[in-house]
Amino acid sequence: MIIKPDDVPGNISRDADVVIIGSGAGGGPIAKELAEEGYSVVVLEEGGHFTREDFDFRTGEAFMRLYRDGGQCMTLGLPVMLLPQGKTVGGTTTINSGTCLRIPRHVLMRWHLEHGLRDLSEDELNLLYSAVEEYLFVKRADPEVVGKNALIFLEGAEKLGYSGGFLPRNAKDCEGYGVCAYGCPSGAKQSVNVSFIPDAVKAGADIYTRCRAERIIVRSGQAVGVRGRFIDPQSGRKTHRIEVQASIVVLAGGAVQTPSLLMHNRICLTSGRVGKNLSIHPCGATMALMDEKLENPKGIPQSTFVDEFAPDGIMLEGVTLPPSIFAISLPWGGKRHTTAMRQYPFYGTFGSMISEHDSVGKVVAGPSARQPLTFYHLGSEDLDRLKLSILLMAEIWFAAGAKRVHTPIEGFKQLTGPQDLRRLARTRLKRASIYGLSAYHPMGTCAMGTDPEWSVVQSSGETWDVENLFICDASVLPTSLGVNPQLTIMAVAIRTAGFIDEKLCSRSIEFEKPSRIERLRKRLRGEKKTVNRHLPERDQAPTNP
Amino acid sequence: MKRYILERLRRLVPFFIETPEGSPPPDPDQVVAFSEEFFFSGTPALRVVFFLLLLILQGLCLLTRGKSLYSLPREKAEDFIQSLSSSRIAAISAIPMLLGMPIFMAHYDRDDVQLILGFDVEALREEAAKREVTR
Repeated sequence: MIIKPDDVPGNISRDADVVIIGSGAGGGPIAKELAEEGYSVVVLEEGGHFTREDFDFRTGEAFMRLYRDGGQCMTLGLPVMLLPQGKTVGGTTTINSGTCLRIPRHVLMRWHLEHGLRDLSEDELNLLYSAVEEYLFVKRADPEVVGKNALIFLEGAEKLGYSGGFLPRNAKDCEGYGVCAYGCPSGAKQSVNVSFIPDAVKAGADIYTRCRAERIIVRSGQAVGVRGRFIDPQSGRKTHRIEVQASIVVLAGGAVQTPSLLMHNRICLTSGRVGKNLSIHPCGATMALMDEKLENPKGIPQSTFVDEFAPDGIMLEGVTLPPSIFAISLPWGGKRHTTAMRQYPFYGTFGSMISEHDSVGKVVAGPSARQPLTFYHLGSEDLDRLKLSILLMAEIWFAAGAKRVHTPIEGFKQLTGPQDLRRLARTRLKRASIYGLSAYHPMGTCAMGTDPEWSVVQSSGETWDVENLFICDASVLPTSLGVNPQLTIMAVAIRTAGFIDEKLCSRSIEFEKPSRIERLRKRLRGEKKTVNRHLPERDQAPTNP
Repeated sequence: MKRYILERLRRLVPFFIETPEGSPPPDPDQVVAFSEEFFFSGTPALRVVFFLLLLILQGLCLLTRGKSLYSLPREKAEDFIQSLSSSRIAAISAIPMLLGMPIFMAHYDRDDVQLILGFDVEALREEAAKREVTR
């Protein structure tokens, strides 16, 4: 069941087979898999539990209820970037756009070569991806529902001969209400809060909400439980305590919170890699004034992509903004701002995502475990790439008929035609001259690997330092993916659940069964061959044999 | 500090949002109520940043206009905000952008304001309520 702080009369002390910290793309699938295997599972989630009735199109409230720090998390460094993260049941999947892309093949090859993760094979990943895609009803966005913004941008890209298409999403019967990032009001988006978590609860898992894990209990080098505190949502004060004694502890708090908790607990620090190696996807956005009304934000906010420059680390993905978010994205105040807002129905928006090459980042323990500091320095190559992505978007908008395009670059806030594009192309950017950037998908801060000196967790997800402590979230992905990571996090989570299952099984002498992967393979055997529907052929993710 | 920030934001509302004919006017009380929650849910560091930005804004106004921002006539105050927004120095143009964040979010999140901009939230809310997607 899902337990709220009001349902808790006093301090709690209980046992479980598995205790999971976090209920997002990592924690949710593990909870479901293990609960369905018959284990007693307890999940501690720092955020609250909300259902579709609570998602009422109010973006401001959504930020305060569903996002960590009201959506105000930022990276420190140049340029400063917003780094939004979910803090609710379902984690960031509750507030993302639902894009489900597989890992690009060249990234997986890099993991094999540089991080020794050869046992994370193409075949196995294919099986896992297929299982998750089937479970989450992943299919390409319906062109009937994507909205004018997406279609017009794609038309512009086609005119220029750039490859693109419709993104695969975990949405069932989506009507395109345009507010994915503030909670899906119809329940169409199959985020973890409407898929894995309800199924985990059906199978007997207990989810404690507004419950912050503070201490991982370690005895004789083995994790044996977790201590936490409930948080009163009104005052933010700590209330009752909870202690869960468990055979296995899974840390799935995301790539910023997970290393912070480890650092505050002073565990898993032998390699010195906890919190290091942070990779994110810095994102730029453009807004274009068109001749016709685009009916924004109605439609699917992130439904289309242009991947012409994906091999160079640039992925363009759609985005639409409701008025309040559009308003804070405009580069002006006063009269000019009001004038631009009156033209809101005529504005199109699109975003770009950079796969880093020379940027560096890290998560450092802050004054409290709740508030880690995220440092990030955008490298000069990546800065150029970001500029190129903005140029590309502007070029596409002009090809689609835009009268003017707004960019987040100082001195180029408004482009009026190809001459401005050439001027921007010739300009050497400074980091401080890009503003209003955001970044998504933090990864890599507890990287998986085969060398205990260079990684925090083994390929199974178990930490090198503490037995029975598993990490399963974006922090274990050793490098930037270059695509939205939720599908990969879920696939790796199900794989990790398999290892946990094997570990728990091996303790029982009278209970033997085939491995989790073998069972998964059997479940999917006989199905039609899965074709990668997500990336162009030159960069195909692994497909089923 | 929080009181100071909220009070100053209240006074900044008319300088940031003009009311075109036919549009609902901004409601400073609503902006303050929203901002209070906005700062409660955010990091304490952001409150400090806003406090400093408000001081810098006032300092710049005294320096360039010779008067307190809040004692300037509305048009002149608007011009001053506009001149900061248009600055080529990112650190200066960021000041009105950041200070405008809670003001714009609060105002443009109102159903009546969104309706004028073609986003009929109430109708969509009703439609979504009737339409539940089950697994």
